[in-house]
Amino acid sequence: MQLDFSKKQLTIKLVYYGAALSGKTTNLQSLHEAASGDSKGRLMTLDTKDDRTLFFDLLPLTFNDKSGLAVRVKVFTVPGQVIHTSTRRLVVQGADGVAFIADSRLSETDNNTESFLDLQRNLQGQGIELEKMPLVIQFNKRDLPNIRSQAEIAEMAKMGREPVYLAIATKGVGVVPCFVGLLYRTWEQLEATHGLSEKFGFDGPEFVADVAAKLGDPRPLRDILADSVGGGVHGR
Amino acid sequence: MGDSRMKTLEELTMLEQFSLEDLLDRRALPEMLSSFQELTGVPARIYSLNSGLLAGPKSAPPLDALLEGFPDGRRRLRDTIHEVLSVGVTVDDPAWVECAFGAGYLVSQLDHDGRALGRIVLGPVRMKEATQGFSGQVIRLPEDKSLELSLEEVPEKTLPECKDLLRFFQRTLDVLAYSGFKAHLASSMHLATVRENFRELTDKNTKLQSAYDRLRELDRLKSNFLATVSHELRTPLTSIIGYSEMLLEGISGELNEEQREFLGTIHQKGEQLLELIKSLLDLSKLESGTMSLRKGNVDCGALARDVATTLAPTARKKNVSLAASVNGELPLYNGDAERLRQILLNLTENAIKFTPADGSVEIEVRLVEQDVRPGTISSGAVLGSPKRRVIEIRVADSGIGIPEDQRERVFDAFYQVDNSATREVGGSGLGLSIVKRLVDAHDGQVYIESNEPRGTVFVVSLPCK
Repeated sequence: MQLDFSKKQLTIKLVYYGAALSGKTTNLQSLHEAASGDSKGRLMTLDTKDDRTLFFDLLPLTFNDKSGLAVRVKVFTVPGQVIHTSTRRLVVQGADGVAFIADSRLSETDNNTESFLDLQRNLQGQGIELEKMPLVIQFNKRDLPNIRSQAEIAEMAKMGREPVYLAIATKGVGVVPCFVGLLYRTWEQLEATHGLSEKFGFDGPEFVADVAAKLGDPRPLRDILADSVGGGVHGR
Repeated sequence: MGDSRMKTLEELTMLEQFSLEDLLDRRALPEMLSSFQELTGVPARIYSLNSGLLAGPKSAPPLDALLEGFPDGRRRLRDTIHEVLSVGVTVDDPAWVECAFGAGYLVSQLDHDGRALGRIVLGPVRMKEATQGFSGQVIRLPEDKSLELSLEEVPEKTLPECKDLLRFFQRTLDVLAYSGFKAHLASSMHLATVRENFRELTDKNTKLQSAYDRLRELDRLKSNFLATVSHELRTPLTSIIGYSEMLLEGISGELNEEQREFLGTIHQKGEQLLELIKSLLDLSKLESGTMSLRKGNVDCGALARDVATTLAPTARKKNVSLAASVNGELPLYNGDAERLRQILLNLTENAIKFTPADGSVEIEVRLVEQDVRPGTISSGAVLGSPKRRVIEIRVADSGIGIPEDQRERVFDAFYQVDNSATREVGGSGLGLSIVKRLVDAHDGQVYIESNEPRGTVFVVSLPCK
């Protein structure tokens, strides 16, 4: 997080992590499409010719809060392929929140686990405990056959502390609630450590609801957050 | 990358870090401006935020050239440039700055990602409809200058046309700046990744090196230990062998048959133990590099026959036939006779040991011209002859054989292909590793070939200088 008092500007960094081809870039593309004109920046992709992420994707979003605080959200993806581990380490540096994108297919279970451990290692390398990082998990590709069942995910999600979302990123399903959930979690953490509401009169829940509306989800925040399973998000 | 400190990704992805000059290719811009001018007739200039001219038309537009030609004109041009650079503008609200004779410049801000990076200046251009009202400042032209000619070459546009051109120009530059930003980011990221990989590898190398150093130290300690222990073991053993010998010779009185047999066993086992300890000592000397060769001229053929004679009783006892043959003329070989003998003894003993009854062991010595084996040569080998003469000593047996994948490893100390076989035939597992080290000391090679249909051939090749 970067806070520029003179410009009243807050910059938050969110990172989409996950195994290769789990749909991180697709999530960003979907968010980019959902964002309305004045808040969305150009989606920058640094990829190879076969569309595999080489370094990262970056989607800058800017939201102006009623308090006068300009909140810039930089959403990054990491390259998923195993060999890019040092790039992932660089990208995840200084993240304020992480969305872990898992491939729902049963065949990808091991890759998901391996990537999650990689995330944990890379955070640990920077002295950050995964437990202290605002985190949401998204089970993507719900429209494919041979996937982990919703009942099973819901059951397993109860054992974790993080909210779990179901999504079909290619169709934009579940992408915004997942992002909103992550933004909310991240706000909770920043509020706890930096006291934004006191310093700027910044109303987090209202801001997050406003962001959701700008991303095309006008429901009350409570309802959006309820899209997750497990990992009780506050505010319900 | 003059910066010694690596920028973080946050710093890199913040556009505040970059000026227009960083994002646009200064040398490629004039090309774009001139093609814009060819297309629209309107000259354009790009200024960066710190007012530096980044790019402009290749040659001065005719009006500028005309004004440059006399003092009043020059003054007016200078004032105009000053105003162009200082007039308040935004992206959506360009300013018109009049220069002279109804011609002027349209000035706009150049933004990227909501941040001002510089200005775009279009012109000189003449407005078709003087909607903005000219300032009316009159400039007197010297008599020798022709105004009409110069003004004809100044393009004439309506204000909406001009604004469209400006918008097009802004968007084009925005895309260019974005591409520049992206390229900059990609290369910085590349560098950062390389650095990160390098750091990681250096870390690992350091760890590996220290582990390697520790292992080497342990190996040295082990060799020292072996040397010391062998020495210490030898001393009491010599007494055991010596005294049992004296007893056997009857120095302390007559022995009965049983006593003689027991003493014989003590003596024989003592000798065996001594041999084993000697091997250990040899190995540790070889490993610590304290053994030196006493070189002289050696007749390898005679050596082979001698070894065959020495081991004939052993072979006979096992009912294994043993023969030595020399194939053709052999030159004398410059080596340590005692060590060469040891090599041959070890190999032959080994062969007899692993050959079942009614089998055969053959020692053959011959001179061969050998192709230089790839991978075994040093740099500059091209200068030498592709063939070299070697004395080849082949010890062939009809024994149990050695699987191909184990042939390298049998030369490791204490290694035996099949532990059960060892129990059957005995042996310390040191013989071959000593052979390997002794052959190495002679700059030779030892390797294993199969002996069809059954058994093994140990080949020692000693290069003739």
